[in-house]
Amino acid sequence: MLVRRVPWAIAVVCLVLGFMLSMQFKVQRQVALNTASLQRAQELAAALEKSEAERERLMTELDELRGQMTAMVKNQAELADVAEQLELAQVHAGLVPLTGPGVIVTMKDSTLPVTPGENPNNYIIHDEDVLKTINDLAAAGAEAMAVNGQRLVASSEVRCSGPTITVNGVRTAPPIVITAVGDPEVLQEAITMRGGVADQLKPWGIEVSVVMQEEVTVPAYKGSLRLKYGEPVTQEVSED
Amino acid sequence: MWIILIGFLAGVLLGMLSPFTVPVVYARYLSIALLAALDTVFGGLRASLEGTYDNGVFITGFFTNGLLAAGLVYLGDRIGVDDLYLAGVAAMGIRMFNNLGFIRRALFTKWRLIQAKGPGAGGAAPAGRSQR
Repeated sequence: MLVRRVPWAIAVVCLVLGFMLSMQFKVQRQVALNTASLQRAQELAAALEKSEAERERLMTELDELRGQMTAMVKNQAELADVAEQLELAQVHAGLVPLTGPGVIVTMKDSTLPVTPGENPNNYIIHDEDVLKTINDLAAAGAEAMAVNGQRLVASSEVRCSGPTITVNGVRTAPPIVITAVGDPEVLQEAITMRGGVADQLKPWGIEVSVVMQEEVTVPAYKGSLRLKYGEPVTQEVSED
Repeated sequence: MWIILIGFLAGVLLGMLSPFTVPVVYARYLSIALLAALDTVFGGLRASLEGTYDNGVFITGFFTNGLLAAGLVYLGDRIGVDDLYLAGVAAMGIRMFNNLGFIRRALFTKWRLIQAKGPGAGGAAPAGRSQR
């Protein structure tokens, strides 16, 4: 009965306490959400790893089936003409490993110590550096190229993905080894010429070495060939 | 008694429905202030069971303890003792457990008294009458 005298003070205390409690719950939920995102990242990484393994499996299967298809076409006598065309098309599409004289370009991250105040990004290889290199090689008449074992075809990308570079959707990291089939001397000149890629990257200590080879082998393209949106235009071609 | 519940619920609703939240940077201050407030509430409960409850002491304690605790954490942050809030957590945590233990014992002895007086007449009404 004593409390009855000033119940409002108690009410205010309770109000404040309840307010603080619910506020704190809200804040803690926010904090929990922030930390949950880290867990989510781990989950996603695991999922990515799983699907990458799955892709690996499917790729070997695809490789096998493609080989079977080519063999079947070749075995049938009446299809000899078609087989020849198919082979030519496959060679140009990059579905067949190609061998011949060429160069092997190796790009390595800088070993120079990063001076304080300097952007450390300047000392590592970026997608742009690789793109410039393959662009120069193509301009110098390279007939086939592969970046770290990934054959470059019409749909190939060379893209920055965090600390790595993706080519044909496959992550690779420096050192970047570019294999190119073509005239070895011309190709070498294209990279090492004054003002060329090697020259531009030299100040940062990024090593670009070109080795001329009597014979280099460029692997076949192993990615998907399925078109989702495009359709070939057959009519206009026949009118020509 | 009802004023306590209503006030508490109103506070919870106000907090839940308010559009803003305390920035995460200040969450530490709020949490330590909340701990101090809870400590004061338990202290008040204990005092009322002991019969030494004073409204003024309780209300001033509630607010000053909360502010002081938050101020202590702030001071710790200013002078580079980031873990000073741990001292507050430890001190108030121990006190809260002490108070809870006392409340439990006081309630238990009360219940014992009621049981001894008459097992048939349970409930709150005899308890109130037994206190006179």
